[in-house]
Amino acid sequence: MPNIHIPRQEMPKQAPEDRRDNFNEVALGFTAELAQKEAQRCIQCKKPFCIDGCPVEIDIPAFIKFISEGDFEGALKKVREENLLPGICGRVCPQEQQCEIQCVLGKKQEPVAIGRLERFVADWGKQTGFDDEFHIEEKKKSVAVVGSGPASISCAIDLRRFGYQVTLFEALHKAGGVLQYGIPEFRLPKKIVDFEINNLDELGVDVKINTVIGQHVEFDELRGFFDAVFLGTGAGAPLFLNIEGEKLKGLYSANEFLIRTNLMKAYKFPEYDTPIICGNKVGVIGAGNVAMDAARCAVRLGADEVYILYRRTKKQAPARLEELENALEEGVILKELVNPVRVLGTDDGWVRAIELIMMELGEPDSSGRARPIPIENSEFEMELDTVVVALGTKPNRLFLNKVPELETTPWGTIQVDERLKTNMEGVYAGGDAVRGNATVILALGDGRTAARSIHAYLQNGKH
Amino acid sequence: MKYNITQKKDIGGTDYLLEVEAPQVAERIRPGNFVVLITVPNGERIPMSVQKAEDGKIAMFVKKLGKTSRALDACGECTTLEAVVGPMGKPVELKKFGNVVFVSDLVCGHAENYLFSQVFSKIEGNHMISMQTFPTKDEIYPEEYLAKGLCDEYYLTTKDGSVGLKGHYLEKLKELLDEGRCDIIFGGGDIPSLHELAKLTRPYEVPTIVTVRQIMVDATGMCGSCRVFVSGEMKLSCIDGPMFDATKLDFEDIISRLGMFKEAEAKAMEWCKQQQECK
Ligand SMILES: Cc1cc2nc3c(=O)[nH]c(=O)nc-3n(C[C@H](O)[C@H](O)[C@H](O)COP(=O)(O)OP(=O)(O)OC[C@H]3O[C@@H](n4cnc5c(N)ncnc54)[C@H](O)[C@@H]3O)c2cc1C
Ligand SMILES: Cc1cc2nc3c(=O)[nH]c(=O)nc-3n(C[C@H](O)[C@H](O)[C@H](O)COP(=O)(O)OP(=O)(O)OC[C@H]3O[C@@H](n4cnc5c(N)ncnc54)[C@H](O)[C@@H]3O)c2cc1C
Ligand code: SF4
Ligand code: SF4
Ligand code: FES
Repeated sequence: MPNIHIPRQEMPKQAPEDRRDNFNEVALGFTAELAQKEAQRCIQCKKPFCIDGCPVEIDIPAFIKFISEGDFEGALKKVREENLLPGICGRVCPQEQQCEIQCVLGKKQEPVAIGRLERFVADWGKQTGFDDEFHIEEKKKSVAVVGSGPASISCAIDLRRFGYQVTLFEALHKAGGVLQYGIPEFRLPKKIVDFEINNLDELGVDVKINTVIGQHVEFDELRGFFDAVFLGTGAGAPLFLNIEGEKLKGLYSANEFLIRTNLMKAYKFPEYDTPIICGNKVGVIGAGNVAMDAARCAVRLGADEVYILYRRTKKQAPARLEELENALEEGVILKELVNPVRVLGTDDGWVRAIELIMMELGEPDSSGRARPIPIENSEFEMELDTVVVALGTKPNRLFLNKVPELETTPWGTIQVDERLKTNMEGVYAGGDAVRGNATVILALGDGRTAARSIHAYLQNGKH
Repeated sequence: MKYNITQKKDIGGTDYLLEVEAPQVAERIRPGNFVVLITVPNGERIPMSVQKAEDGKIAMFVKKLGKTSRALDACGECTTLEAVVGPMGKPVELKKFGNVVFVSDLVCGHAENYLFSQVFSKIEGNHMISMQTFPTKDEIYPEEYLAKGLCDEYYLTTKDGSVGLKGHYLEKLKELLDEGRCDIIFGGGDIPSLHELAKLTRPYEVPTIVTVRQIMVDATGMCGSCRVFVSGEMKLSCIDGPMFDATKLDFEDIISRLGMFKEAEAKAMEWCKQQQECK
C-alpha cells in the first residue's frame, strides 16, 4: 500500500573523510529493505507525470509497484523494456531535472527516488545473474556501429535483437565511450561498464576495439561492407579558453585530466604506466559534471586545496546537484562569480597562479540563466599549481574531417532528420555527435530510435 | 586480439628494431602516419613512427628510454603486444616535388627517413636526398636499416667525424640550400635540432615539414595533451599532424611541455627496476 508519510529514503554513502582517499564508489545503493520502503511512497498516479520527464519513457509507476511488492525481477523486466542500461542511468542520469522533477510528491515533499530505485533493480539483476529472455531471428544484413558510448551500445543491442549482424568499432583500447574514459570510477565503477560490454559480446555483437574508422578503415569501405551504419562518435574534442598561459605545464583540459585518471588509471601509477601530475592547489574552470568529476579526482589524487572557479553562482551550475553537493562534502571549494583572464607561469614554464576577474549577474541570456558581466578593475591573482579547463567539449574532428560529404551543423555536430538519418544513404547518427554535450539517457534513446529507423530502412529499402 | 612480435633486436646505440604483425595497419601506413602501441595490459599508449611496412608486418626503431621501452626490450618472453593502432595522423601528399630532402638525427627520424626515402624516390620526377646523423661510428645502424640504398643521394654524418662527414646534417644541408638544390625538406628526430633546422631554412623560403613528438595520451584528438601552436593557432599533433611546417611552430612551447613528466618517468623507471622488469 502506498504510504506518503514515509520520508524519502537516504542512500548509504561512503563518509566524506573516507572517500577523499579512494576511488571506490561513493554511493552504495539501497538495500532491498530501503528500496521497498522507498517504493511504497509512490502513489501510483493515474496520470504519471514522472514518465513525461524520462526521455525513454520508462513505465515508472509499474516498475516501482513491482519493487514495493518485492518482485524485483518483474521490476527489472519492466525497466528493461525501455532502458537497456539501467545500472548506468540509475547512477548518472540527472534525475532531479528529469523524471523526479515531475513527480507529484515533489510539490509538497520530496519526490520518489526513481533513479535510486532503478539502480537498485539493475544491481539486483546483476547479482542474481538475471538475463532477458528473447529469441533472435537471424537476418543476413549487417550494420556497422561506430563508437561504443551509450548511443552505440543501445543501438547495437536493438539491432542485434532485430536479428542483424552487428559489428561495433571503438577507437580506444576499451569500449564504453565517456562511461569508460570520462566518468570516474567513484561515480560509475568500470566493472559495471565492462559488464554491459560483455553482454554485447554474449548477444553476438562483434566488438572491435583499437579500430579507428576513417584511419584504420576508410568510411567508404565501411559503407561498402555493411548495409547500414550508425555513427555514435560522441563529442570528445577538448575546448580551451584561448587565453594567455595555456602553454604552461600543469594546465590540462578536463578530458586529459580524466582520461589519464580513468581510462589510463594514473591513480595507480606506477603500477599502471601513465602518470598524472596533480599539484597541491588545483583550480578547475567550469561547474558542469565534467568539472565536478575533475575536481573530485584532484581531491583523490592528493591535492590539498581544490577550487571550482565559476563565473555564475551555485544556483546556475549545470552539474547535477547531488554531485555538486558530494564535491563540496569532499572539501572542494566553490568560488562563484569569477572568470579567468590569464594563467601565469614560473620562469621554467609551470603554472604559478591564475588571474581572475570578478563577475556580477545581469539579465538572463538565451539559455535563461543570468548573464555574468565582468566588474571593471576587479582583477586579482590566485596562487595555483594546476589548472583544469572544464568548459565542455565539441565533436571530434578525427572522423568528420575524413568524410566531408557528411552534412554538419554550424556547431560541427552531424545533421540528422527526426529519424536520425544523415544526408548519406544508409547512414544514421545519434548521441553527442548529433546533440553536442548531452546526457547518457538521451544518447541511449537516440541509439534505440536509430535502430528502429535502420530496421525500417533495411526492411523496405526506402528512406 | 594480441599482436605477434616477429623480431626484436639491437641495431645501434640504445636503439632496437621492433617488428610486429599487424596486416591491416601495414597495408595502410603512408609517410607521415604513426602508430600507437600498448605493450602490456596496464601499459600506456605510446606513439611510434614506422620504418617499414611489408608483408603484413610493420617495423619500428625504438629507443630504450623509459619504463615502457626498456621493459619491452628486457622482456624475453614477451611475444605479443596488447595493441597496435593505426595508421594515426595525417599522411603527407605523395607527389612530385623535385628535390626532396629528408634529414634525421634520432631514432624516430631515422625510421621516417627510411620510409620517406623508399616512397618518394619511386615517384617520377623526384630526386630523393637523404641525410642521417649519428653521434659516432659506434651508434650507426647496420646498412640495411639506413636510407642509403633507397635514395638518389645520401649523406651520413657523425658528430665526431668517425665515419662519413663530420658534424650535424645542418651543416651539409646549408651547402645544398646555398646551391639551391632543395625543393622541399622533411625532418624528424631531435626536437631542438628541428628548431635549428627551421631557423636555417626560413631565409631560403624552402618548405620545411617536420615531425612533432609532443606527448600523447589517447592519440585520437580527445585530450589536448599533444597541442602545438602553428602561427599562434592551436593544433593537435595526433590528428592535425604529426608533421607541421617547422617555420611556423612554437618550438619553445614544444620543448618545455615535452619535459613535463620527467620526474614521474624517473619514478616509473625506479619501480620498473625494483620489479626487475627493466635493465
Ligand atoms: C566527465 C563527464 C561526465 C559526465 N557526466 C554525466 C552524467 O553524470 N550524467 C549524464 O547523463 N551525462 C554525463 N556526461 C555526458 C555523457 O557522458 C554523454 O552525453 C554520453 O556519453 C554521450 O554518449 P555517446 O554514445 O554519444 O558518445 P560517447 O560516450 O562520447 O562515445 C563516443 C565513442 O566513440 C569513439 N569514437 C569516436 N570517433 C571514432 C572513430 N572514428 N572510430 C571509432 N570510434 C570512435 C570514442 O572513442 C568514444 O569512445 C558526462 C560527460 C563527461 C565527459
Ligand atoms: C608521432 C611520434 C612518433 C614517435 N616515434 C618514435 C620512434 O619511432 N621511436 C621511439 O623510440 N620513440 C618515438 N616516439 C616517442 C615515444 O613515444 C616515447 O619515446 C615513448 O613513449 C617513451 O616511453 P617510455 O616509457 O619508454 O619513456 P618515458 O620515461 O615514459 O618517457 C621518456 C620521454 O619520452 C617522451 N614521451 C613519453 N611518453 C610519451 C608519449 N605518450 N607520447 C610522446 N612522447 C612521450 C617524453 O619526452 C619523455 O620525457 C614518438 C612519439 C611521437 C609523438
Ligand atoms: S532513465 Fe533516467 S530519467 Fe528515465 S526514469 Fe531512469 S533515472 Fe529517470
Ligand atoms: S509521479 Fe511520483 S508518485 Fe506519481 S507515479 Fe510517478 S513516481 Fe509515483
Ligand atoms: S593525444 Fe590526445 S588529443 Fe592528441
